[in-house]
Amino acid sequence: MNQRINTAPGEIGPWVLLSWISIALAAYCLLPWTALEYGLTDFTKEEWLNALGWKFSKITLILPLTLAALVPFGLIKLPGRGTGWFFTIASGTVIGAVLIGFVTTQTSMGLGCGVVMMCLAALFAVGISELGFQRGDTFIAGAVIFVVFMVVAFIFFPVWEIFRNVLFTKNGEFAPLQFFQIITSFGVGRVVWNTLMLAFTVGAATTICGIVFALYSIRATSRIRVLIRVFYILPIITPPFVVGMSLILLFGRAGMINDALMFLLGPQGLFTPAGAQGIFERSGYIYGFSGIFLAQVLSLTPVSYMVISGMLSSINPSMEEASLTMRANRGKTLWNVTLPLLRPAIANSFLLGMISSAADFGNPLVLGGEYDVLSTEIYFSIAGAQLDFAKASALGLILLFLSLTVFFIQRKWIGKKSYVTVTGVETSGNVTPLPVGMQRCMTVFVTLWFVLVGVLYVSIFLGGFVKQWGADYTLTLSHHLELWSKGLGSGAWPSFRNSLTYAVVAAPLTTLVGVLIAYILTRKQFWGRGIIDFGTVLIFAIPGTVVGVAYILAFNTPPIEITGTAIILIITMAIRAMPVGIRGGMSALSQISTNLEEASVLQRAGSLKTIWSVLLPLLKSTIVSSMAYSFIRAMTTVSAVIFLATAGTDVATTYILSRVESGDTGVAVAYGSVLIFTMLIFTLLVQFITGRSRTEKQVKTF
Amino acid sequence: MTDSSIKIVLKNVSKHFGKVRALDGIDIEFAQGTLTTLLGPSGCGKTTLLRLVSGLEPVTTGEIWFGDENVTGLSATRRDVGMVFQSYALFPHMTVAQNVGYGLRVLKTAPEEIESRIREVLQMVAMDGYQSRYPDELSGGQQQRVAVARAMVLRPKVLLFDEPLSNIDSKLRRSMREDIRRLQQLSGITSIYVTHDQAEAMAVSDEIILMRNGTIEQQGPPQSLYHYPATVFVADFIGESNIITAELIGSGGKRQIVFGDIKISVSVDEQMPYANGPVKLSLRPEIIELLNSNPNADQRLKGVIVQRAYMGPVIEYSVETKAGTLFTRVPAHSHQFQVNEKVYVHIHPDEIIIIPENDDNN
Repeated sequence: MNQRINTAPGEIGPWVLLSWISIALAAYCLLPWTALEYGLTDFTKEEWLNALGWKFSKITLILPLTLAALVPFGLIKLPGRGTGWFFTIASGTVIGAVLIGFVTTQTSMGLGCGVVMMCLAALFAVGISELGFQRGDTFIAGAVIFVVFMVVAFIFFPVWEIFRNVLFTKNGEFAPLQFFQIITSFGVGRVVWNTLMLAFTVGAATTICGIVFALYSIRATSRIRVLIRVFYILPIITPPFVVGMSLILLFGRAGMINDALMFLLGPQGLFTPAGAQGIFERSGYIYGFSGIFLAQVLSLTPVSYMVISGMLSSINPSMEEASLTMRANRGKTLWNVTLPLLRPAIANSFLLGMISSAADFGNPLVLGGEYDVLSTEIYFSIAGAQLDFAKASALGLILLFLSLTVFFIQRKWIGKKSYVTVTGVETSGNVTPLPVGMQRCMTVFVTLWFVLVGVLYVSIFLGGFVKQWGADYTLTLSHHLELWSKGLGSGAWPSFRNSLTYAVVAAPLTTLVGVLIAYILTRKQFWGRGIIDFGTVLIFAIPGTVVGVAYILAFNTPPIEITGTAIILIITMAIRAMPVGIRGGMSALSQISTNLEEASVLQRAGSLKTIWSVLLPLLKSTIVSSMAYSFIRAMTTVSAVIFLATAGTDVATTYILSRVESGDTGVAVAYGSVLIFTMLIFTLLVQFITGRSRTEKQVKTF
Repeated sequence: MTDSSIKIVLKNVSKHFGKVRALDGIDIEFAQGTLTTLLGPSGCGKTTLLRLVSGLEPVTTGEIWFGDENVTGLSATRRDVGMVFQSYALFPHMTVAQNVGYGLRVLKTAPEEIESRIREVLQMVAMDGYQSRYPDELSGGQQQRVAVARAMVLRPKVLLFDEPLSNIDSKLRRSMREDIRRLQQLSGITSIYVTHDQAEAMAVSDEIILMRNGTIEQQGPPQSLYHYPATVFVADFIGESNIITAELIGSGGKRQIVFGDIKISVSVDEQMPYANGPVKLSLRPEIIELLNSNPNADQRLKGVIVQRAYMGPVIEYSVETKAGTLFTRVPAHSHQFQVNEKVYVHIHPDEIIIIPENDDNN
């Protein structure tokens, strides 16, 4: 009567082992064992054949023989835990031997080697799961190994390379004091001070603006508050340096404001009497601290708004009502009850603002002028002729340290603190409106903000259609024609196509790994989980420029030599966008009761089936939005990719920046506006599609 | 089906979470075809024990046997266990039929058989006809019944219930627990039921295991736990009880207990020889009678009513006496007392439960 099937769910049949072994053998025979000179996209038959393992070197013949020797062990069942031990030790040894081989001979791994290693890792996963790891669940064991590999190879190893560059001399001698020699050889104090100054003021300013916007959008009775709900999309879809560019168009030396002042008040304008010094002197006051500050506040405030409004809308209105019943007026209630309740969100937003400001690269690059910050200083120590990797590493370390410190403060002291009590009981009561006077002031502020942002975006759009901003405002299509009409092989097309291709590959990859990490961190307890946990912290905290430096250092030499290829750009984009996937996955998974998965397991489903049939359908909207957001991030990111993009793998953002550097502002702005427009349409499309799907069932959990 | 049922045996099972010992050296045998309740306050380890049996949680040490099969090393997927969760854990994106048929599809059952099995099991829980509904379109009680159907559809060797009624409103609870009891007896599947509600435990169980701090406090049929609590904790947890201190004196079959300022003769079971000396008494509210006159002074406690609550069919009183404050419940149609009124307290001697003073922490 009871259903019985030959292989119990979750049990490994011999065909699993045999298929991994045969894939490995096939990869060894057919795919290049060592890296091809010009990558996988450009090779001759000759090169391909020479790179094959059995052609390359006789010593690699040991590998297929070893693999063949594994076959019989896949068919027979060793007594006790024999099979488990056998495959753990055998595949572990082979992986280690191959790695040592590549490192000692300073050879770069090829695709075939990658596939073979993957198969060996799978056999290793079978081995350790047979030994009881993850309670015998091979799929989870494999996923854990995969994630650990990703984290070690693309986070720990590159970060270690930065340390190695600082701690060891070029000859490989250990020199712990080298770090201090490097950083004292130039004005590091000023750079660090600049960065901290900027981070601190930007953090404070974005938080205050975020509070205003949050209060206004949730509590005000005015109509324009609906605009706020749209405005946070803009910075997401705008490449980070474009705000800086538009500020130049508006406030720069040849900017509209300056022109208008000169037109109205003569050649020196209102604020620039002859010989005047000071911020309004006509020498480009937008370059330097004030410009970066303004650009960062404009682009980071929406983040702060989201953090604070999220908490504001979940405050139980009855607390404010209680205050009102005790004779406090609206203003007092706001000051004594509402704002203190928001304290965790405020602190969070401040620290987030600090991290983002310190990590920002695009705006300081465009607007920095004489004002050096860490992120640009890192770039300039490698870019151009200098190529000072030790200095870049040292600065990278300082930036990473700052960012990690702030991140840990946020995580340990604020991350979990919340006065918002989730009881599951519907909260009733009306939210307290803002005091009248305050609302008026806010209306003025918010209106001014929108006017400024509107003018900025309009100037980006128009900038692409005038001959020479500041000098010749004749309307022209020449910039756009230069970009888009000179055939698919020139102008903007190659970089645009590259961006699209890489982003399309990176988005699913980052979502897959991000959600897997979130799944492992929320659902699984095991020895070694700390590795993934710390890797996640690094992924969250590591600034883009540091990733750029680290990847150049790590992947420019064997055994993994992938700089200059598309692969490294895709991986970089994936890593940069991964926090989105992890965060989305974690919050979605914490909404899904583990009982659902347990119920599935008790219905005889293995973990793969459970994830496929239970978790994935429930995570669908998270996955879609994470993919969309990762795609946008990949399209607009600049900080890390600027180190890694080469002539052949130029992407949209790096192309725009190179045009800015060569002075073609018109072309750059034209491209930028097209990019923003594309992203806007994409975002609206995604929202339209996800908004319409009715298959989403509310997940009820207790 | 009853002949296919198995017994479940736990041998010296322990479960540690880090340094916390959630369960410590548990030995239990769940007789075949019975429903056993794990009862206890929250944190006593009852849900952990259930999860160990299900295989969702691995044991730290010890063995679990289903019949003559050692299942300790088997994961939940391979154990052949059905479970009803406190939150029901119905898949929100699947219909009732898809929920119930999930395990059948996993086992690649033929589609026609899946459909008939779903109908059969839904009929058992009176939910046939709801196949195409989604869980959020059902009431709590209906979701619960679907969850029971899903747990039973694979005809598991063992059925587990984790506080299945705690999310159901109190009026429905009675009929739901009767349904669960009926289905369990009908199927004859050995079942374990976790609850913290002693009344629920008494109503559904063949046997109750009262747990406390990760160990078993007492095990037996409901009546024996009620009438013969081994410890103060059991007396207090099962039913309502006034626990007071007393002294046991006398010898042989003629012994007396002294408490307050009275002495009552009791017949002590020869099988359970209590040593003379200090003991605890458990006095159920229903054996305490209040009188306004005193025909037999030395057998009655003098007291004063300190609190009175009208509950409809009964009235609850708190009476202050020399033996402590006693709580009692009398039918509303009998004589009513007022607060501060002096009364005489009569305790039925045969119903007094004597618990030896031991190293019990209470």
